[in-house]
Amino acid sequence: MTGTANAQFRIGVDIGGTFTDATLVDSTTGQVTTSKVLTTSSDPATGFIQSVQKLLDLDDTVRPDAIEHVVHATTVATNAIIEGKTAKTAFVTTEGFRDMLEIARQIRPSLYDLQFEKPPPLVPRQLCFEVPERLDAKGKVVTPLDEKALAEVVERIAESGVEAVAVCLLHSYRNPDHEQRIGKAIAARLPNIIISLSSDVVPEFREYLRASTTVINSAVAPIVSTYLASITEKLHAADITSELLVMQSSGGVYPAKAASDNPVFMVESGPAAGAVAAASLGTALGFPNVISFDMGGTTAKASLIRNGQPNITKDYSVGGAAQSGTGAFGGASGYPIRTPVVDLVEIGAGGGSIAWVDSGGALRVGPHSAGADPGPVCYGLGGEEPTITDANLVLGRLDPTYFAGGEMSLDLAAAQEAIRNHCAEPLGLTTEEAAHGIIEIANTAMVNALRLVSVQRGHDPRDFLLVAFGGAGPAHAVRLAEQAGIPRVLIPLGPGTASALGLLVTDMRMEGSSTLIVRSDEIELSQISSEFERLENAGREAHHVAASASGDPIFERAIEMRYWGQSFELSVPAPARDEIDQAWMNELTESFHDAHETAYGFRANDEPVELVNLRLTTVGKIARPQMRKLESTGTDASIASKGERPVYFAETPETKGIVQTVVYDRSKLPAGAVFNGPAIIEEPDATAVIQPSWTVTVDQFGNLSIEHNS
Amino acid sequence: MAKAAIDPIKFEVIRNALTQAAEEMAIALRRSAYSTNVKTRQDFSCAFFDKNLRSVAQAFTQPVHLGSFVRHVPIAVQRYGPENLGPGDMILSNDPYGGGVHLNDISLIGPVYWGDELVGYTACLAHHVDVGGGAPASVGAFREVFQEGIIIPPIKLVAKGEFDDDLFRLVLAQIRSKRETAGDFRAQMASNRTGALRINEIIERYGLGEFDRYIDEIIEYTDRRTRAEVARLPKGVFSAKGFVDNDGFTNDVVKLEVKITIDDDGVRFDTTGSDLQRRAPVNSTFAQTFSACAYALRALMDKDLPVNDGFYRYVHVNAPEGTVTNCVHPAPVVGGWETHVRLNDLIFEALAPAMPDAICAGTKAMQCHSGFGGENHETGEYYCFLETIAGGYGGRSTSDGPDAVQTHGQNTENAPIEETESNYPVRITRYELVADSEGPGEFRGGLGLRRDYMFPEEATFTVLADRDKFGPRGLFGGDPGSTSVYAIIKDGEEEQRLSSKTTVQLQPGDVISYRTSGGGGYGEPFKRDPQRVLADVLQDKISVERAREHYGVEIDIDAQLVDESRTRDHRVDK
Repeated sequence: MTGTANAQFRIGVDIGGTFTDATLVDSTTGQVTTSKVLTTSSDPATGFIQSVQKLLDLDDTVRPDAIEHVVHATTVATNAIIEGKTAKTAFVTTEGFRDMLEIARQIRPSLYDLQFEKPPPLVPRQLCFEVPERLDAKGKVVTPLDEKALAEVVERIAESGVEAVAVCLLHSYRNPDHEQRIGKAIAARLPNIIISLSSDVVPEFREYLRASTTVINSAVAPIVSTYLASITEKLHAADITSELLVMQSSGGVYPAKAASDNPVFMVESGPAAGAVAAASLGTALGFPNVISFDMGGTTAKASLIRNGQPNITKDYSVGGAAQSGTGAFGGASGYPIRTPVVDLVEIGAGGGSIAWVDSGGALRVGPHSAGADPGPVCYGLGGEEPTITDANLVLGRLDPTYFAGGEMSLDLAAAQEAIRNHCAEPLGLTTEEAAHGIIEIANTAMVNALRLVSVQRGHDPRDFLLVAFGGAGPAHAVRLAEQAGIPRVLIPLGPGTASALGLLVTDMRMEGSSTLIVRSDEIELSQISSEFERLENAGREAHHVAASASGDPIFERAIEMRYWGQSFELSVPAPARDEIDQAWMNELTESFHDAHETAYGFRANDEPVELVNLRLTTVGKIARPQMRKLESTGTDASIASKGERPVYFAETPETKGIVQTVVYDRSKLPAGAVFNGPAIIEEPDATAVIQPSWTVTVDQFGNLSIEHNS
Repeated sequence: MAKAAIDPIKFEVIRNALTQAAEEMAIALRRSAYSTNVKTRQDFSCAFFDKNLRSVAQAFTQPVHLGSFVRHVPIAVQRYGPENLGPGDMILSNDPYGGGVHLNDISLIGPVYWGDELVGYTACLAHHVDVGGGAPASVGAFREVFQEGIIIPPIKLVAKGEFDDDLFRLVLAQIRSKRETAGDFRAQMASNRTGALRINEIIERYGLGEFDRYIDEIIEYTDRRTRAEVARLPKGVFSAKGFVDNDGFTNDVVKLEVKITIDDDGVRFDTTGSDLQRRAPVNSTFAQTFSACAYALRALMDKDLPVNDGFYRYVHVNAPEGTVTNCVHPAPVVGGWETHVRLNDLIFEALAPAMPDAICAGTKAMQCHSGFGGENHETGEYYCFLETIAGGYGGRSTSDGPDAVQTHGQNTENAPIEETESNYPVRITRYELVADSEGPGEFRGGLGLRRDYMFPEEATFTVLADRDKFGPRGLFGGDPGSTSVYAIIKDGEEEQRLSSKTTVQLQPGDVISYRTSGGGGYGEPFKRDPQRVLADVLQDKISVERAREHYGVEIDIDAQLVDESRTRDHRVDK
């Protein structure tokens, strides 16, 4: 039994481009309740609290003080970067290096493209400032910090009207003193400004990567902290005073305060939730190898899960082009960050993606989205341009009277008219043909995303299960699997809010690290113990801030090591010995040689080994909700039939596109039911479209397991 | 019997798995290497060749290598004799006169076996930071290839999975930075092993017959697409002449000439008319000239065309023997890449009238090596360091040339200052854009780059670069970018210029300063949108005076605005 009578419920809230989804789990029974509201783009916190309020209204036995914690995934940080709406930020660095961000790595993002562009720096050159000071590679002061020149720079920063400042001095990972003094000087003059020091954010060497990470941290911090403060305030107003946790890009969660201070760890918060949900579901059902496909109103995301774990990368660029390849540290097309991120591909195709005819007479879909406001034409909220959702409606795949479980009715005539006027007539097609073209074009882009994470990484899609969710995922998944060569699709119960469920199946994880860079034959062993103790104390304190989350924290110690002379480290778990003595060190060194041999096929026993970073992960275990079995069982699906309706499938030319298709009510499907496509399966938050030549089986938990008949 | 149909999914999976195998070779090499030039700057390339020595898949690292590699690997294997290579063997080679390039670029090539059957070769090339010869980092101006370092004909360095200790010690004995270089050789071995493992996994899954059949199809697929792309190029004969600014011994320019013929038979590059080879470090081997032409052709094609033998077979090059574009033994070759990359600028200049929207104006177009070494007082080791410095890109028909990037076949990263200073006795004191270095144009060239090194201990420093006489050319009325500056500053003395190809002895406290060329402009500068000029001035990228003189734009710097009426006056006067 987890949780107490006082803290029985947990809530996850996932804000997408179009919908805000909330999930409530009763820790004692595993009972899941979900809600969905339209995302309020101008102030996402409003939609957040609406979704929570709606949850509480659905079940009046849930008292606000019985909520253990609220976990949130948000795209607020990444949106700000992609849309160029980050806070006005200044950059302070060592004299002689103000172009660090602009020069970046001096490489081109694409090898053979003579028309390439470099991404513009997040801080323009006139807001990059230099301060006379210099450390050497050991952290020793070569040139003392020039306080007078610093005072002048602080004045110029004050005049510039920036909201945030990033400070990255050469070799500050070795000695943070100058950065800290600069931070204090700025804070004294500008007490309300956000200041990020590179020695706090990512104390790792290689100045450009550290500077880029620090700049992103400060440039999104004003936006993220205001946003999280607003949510906290609204939760308090609803008498929910338990801890607000935020999902990190790596799939772990951390407290809102930590997220406000270090938002660069949650830049890819939203997409990570979906990958975690798919991994958890796959593992529970015995499928450790999964391709996660999450399609919402604005974007579609794909990621690969092997052995139950999403791939995590530290070579990541925010806003980078979707590509495979080894561009060092994530390629040169975006802004690199050196924080752990779930490896995924995201493309601009969602239910709200707008279809249009370009000047060359080609039918195009996206990248513009109608989002939630005005939304697709059929919502009747003022949208005039046809979207993917409108096309699905015109093809009979959505029921105009049963959208969002009948809470919203869709205007079929308006959708038909928009597709006719904007697409069909300019192209000389029928409205249905144009609508089908819209779907197929969008599918092509999504198939490509699935291929980027699987085939292009050398994995055969035939070995994987496609887990499809998001409000629009189930309508497209089976056709995508057909095109990508994936033989099996799983659609979880409540696909529209499955991603929010991912927020409730992950542990609290906080990362701490300490840079050593010292050879194993020159290290003081007591330094290792004292640094680990210091990190554990910090981790314990942070854990207690979010104490309601779980019991005592678990600490995971690892050491990042390499051969002296290399630049890339392998992470080696610390030996499980009570004392850090020579035997401990011998065991550690042996583990490193082994790890190196496994990774690269050779070991160099005579080469000196270097300890680069100590890493401590503080884990607060969070109990997983139990999946509930369906109460009704039986192989006969017909009891869930709502009747038939004509649906357009161009995949079957012999029927000229229109096929009479059985429509099922998912809530009435018993465990064990088996039926063939074509079929439509409706539930309140999504509609699944099953192509001909696929067979659906309902598993004991109510998941739809869909297999190709081959 | 009819040929079995190609399964499109299997085709894509195998094609991508092969590319992934090459990418993983690159990751293994980068992550286990020791020298900054390999592990961070990525001055290496990896590829998989089939059993017939056709290039099949490559990792996207350095196009310069990839284009030359496809010639060197087959020649090296043929010379050694494929029959003399068994499982776990690998041959080492850098012979410029055996299909290679300059001596620093050493290839390690290993056969891949599936059981006891030969199925292909993995090969990786790394630019080693030192290969001996007359100056640390093995860059410098010499008269013969023998002075440039160790020449390695194909030799079996790895036998049955183990280094041949005698050979390994013999090779390392010629090299200054032994510890780093030994580490980089081990990394090359790791890279080939990783590739062989992945290839075996692919065959295990699909069977050898299918593996071979799909490799044929992968090459034919690229062939079909390349043929279609070539057919789309404008027909005609296009030519250009240019220079390498000096050869390192004389101040005479090195003349280059290129003629490109595009007709129904395809594309042919001809460098007839280029100068005879010099007893100086500016000679390209045929592999290097081939690589320049392959890069240029590839850059004119669809961005997602996979490059393999099916593409390279369309690169036809005539480079007369004994010229700087196809030198013969024993000409020195270390600066051959300077000539190679300048040919690229010329090829695009030649094609400009026919393809004005596809090309760019003159770029940095030099490797711009900075090499140094000496005794590291702290460790007592002989260290060597090598890097190359970016510069301005040329303007394009609708956009400015980007500032401070590598150009053409070269795309090596900068060495992070913190990593450099952690490992070598040097301090980088300045690393910034060079204001006013752009070639003015309606779309201006990119800015050049400044990098200053201070040496706290004695060291030997080599500049191996170019562009100290002529800046990158403009196109369609655009002006040239700045010339490059290489200088030494001794404490309390005036800065002294250095030649672009020279070696100097440094005393503690000496500073070497590089200021690379900006790119050439595209279109007439007086047609440049005054708001773009203003944006450059506000970012200190160009001065108020330069805005007035070169662009005819008057900036009111206090108001941060364009003075419209005075701008009109300036521009009418022109």
